[in-house]
Amino acid sequence: MQQFWLAFGFGLVTASVLAISAVGLSLQFGITNYINFAYGDFMALGAFLTLEVNSGFLHLNIWFAMVGGSLGMGVLAVLINRFLLSPFARRFDKTFYVLIVTFGLSLIILNVIYAIWGANVRAYNMPIEQVLHIGPFLLTRNQLIVMAISLSLMVLVHIMLKTTRLGKSMRAMSDNTTLAMTSGIDTKRITTITWFLSGTMAGLAGTVLGITEGNLTPASGELFLFVIFAAVIVGGVGSIYGAMAGAVLIGLATEISAVFINPSYKLDVAFVLLILTLLFRPSGLFARPGKA
Amino acid sequence: MSAFWYYVFTLLFFLFDYFILAMGLNIQYGETGILNFAYIGFVAIGAYVTGAVSMPDSAGTGQHYILGLNIPFPINLIIGGLTASALALIVALISLRRLRTDYLAMVLISLSLVLYDICNNFVPLFNGADGLYNVPEPMAGVLKLTTNSFVPFFAGVAGVVALIMWFLMSRITRSPLGRTFRAIRDDAGVASALGKGVFRYQLTSMLIGSFYAGVGGGLIIQFGGSFNPSAWLPGETFVIFAVIIVGGVGNNIGMIAGSLLVETLLVHLPAFLPSIPSHPGLIEYVDAMVIGILLMVMLWFRPQGMIPERIRRSPISASTPLSSVTAVAARAGAEPLSTVEEGGAS
Repeated sequence: MQQFWLAFGFGLVTASVLAISAVGLSLQFGITNYINFAYGDFMALGAFLTLEVNSGFLHLNIWFAMVGGSLGMGVLAVLINRFLLSPFARRFDKTFYVLIVTFGLSLIILNVIYAIWGANVRAYNMPIEQVLHIGPFLLTRNQLIVMAISLSLMVLVHIMLKTTRLGKSMRAMSDNTTLAMTSGIDTKRITTITWFLSGTMAGLAGTVLGITEGNLTPASGELFLFVIFAAVIVGGVGSIYGAMAGAVLIGLATEISAVFINPSYKLDVAFVLLILTLLFRPSGLFARPGKA
Repeated sequence: MSAFWYYVFTLLFFLFDYFILAMGLNIQYGETGILNFAYIGFVAIGAYVTGAVSMPDSAGTGQHYILGLNIPFPINLIIGGLTASALALIVALISLRRLRTDYLAMVLISLSLVLYDICNNFVPLFNGADGLYNVPEPMAGVLKLTTNSFVPFFAGVAGVVALIMWFLMSRITRSPLGRTFRAIRDDAGVASALGKGVFRYQLTSMLIGSFYAGVGGGLIIQFGGSFNPSAWLPGETFVIFAVIIVGGVGNNIGMIAGSLLVETLLVHLPAFLPSIPSHPGLIEYVDAMVIGILLMVMLWFRPQGMIPERIRRSPISASTPLSSVTAVAARAGAEPLSTVEEGGAS
């Protein structure tokens, strides 16, 4: 039983990382209506930008570096959308083209990271942590901070979507872009802001993944991608709250399964859940009409 | 044989092999419109199975793998292809009917990553991260081939296989089956309104394409004698997409042009360049970026590829008098059909 609670604690950590990444992916998907297959590499690039600020010439504390790396990734995401993705999406009706472009972008970004930072396993420069006993859980201070960041970010996203003008515009665009445009919403501006948020969250997720795992490699984001997809599909594609719920579910399931099976396969459990969802509830837990 | 000819035949082998792989992905993506981002996974399964069935029982080899049946050359290749198709059948039954293009692509790329994860970690299956090695060279014993004469011989074999596969594929694409595939690609809603069972055709297309993937993979493992997870990272699928998009989507001849440009010139030729001592691997990274950029430039400026798809005209041309049915359809044409399209696209 004690093992179960330990795994539950780790599950909450994984869920926190997943929630940030899944919500970032879903926000952008809701607005532009195509999946960004380079999202995993956005995460890795953000993580390496953080590494540069953390252990490069600036030598900033990891948490300040994280803010820098994430915002940097947000700006890059805006530029990538402005000069690459949005022209392709505007020019071609079929989503095929832009999907293949994001897939190609993932290859390019991955190799840019390899070329700049090399293929070695790296780690952030942060003090060695003592493990804390909190109730039945065993967690480090960093893991607790990550959970707090994730939780407050989710609350912020919720407040933004429900109360601010920006959030309402985003929800309107996600429901019907044309209608939103005719109602006087500046769709171009909203799209740019969304890409900024999505990129920032990708960078943040990549960094906290590196912090909680204790190491980072250029391919770490890409290999994490299917877990994010599983969270998004299980939760219901296009639904932000679904993404949050899916993240918690997948995060807990993967870590708790490690108690029973060889931990090397714990992430593959996410794929099993994805298949089960497809078989029994293809639209996900929180289905949105017209999106699946 | 000089090193030069050794290179030439190696390049030729990869040209033929990627021609086969490109034809398989072309029928899925180019003809039917299935965005199969897991393609390299099917290639890998074909390769592993082809290798494993042709190897002796794993007991005395120092490797761990299943099968090990000593099955000789052409048969093991076919078994590899069929296994890839069998995997495609399972995948298609679960995901093809339920999902829109981009969710299908999400599920498939996840599948590719999971297959990779499992083959990499689960040693008893295909020897884990070390992969299979010492795979017997087909027919080397019978024809008394040495390591040197095997390379040109097997490049020739791959050429013959590619020719057979191309002949079969050109029959398929020209047949009513191929026509239906293209109708589904252009608009699945219209195709189903005309009474075509879209799912059944997509399934067929997946099976045919995966068989090509399996055979292409089987040739790779027998040519090199080894195969391990580093050879099929999910990004490799993108190289094959680049081959068909650069060559010309929906055109079998375009596949050989794309395979020549992307696979031979961009992927394998730079491997022979001397590496820069201070930056090991840099050439490889830049190479991958160039392929990505080339594909984007090609998509933007010439989306139809180097050799575009031929416009196939039906025997009923504008000058032929319309039969009553087609005349009615033509007159009623535009309006109702476009509603069908919108309904189908959602």
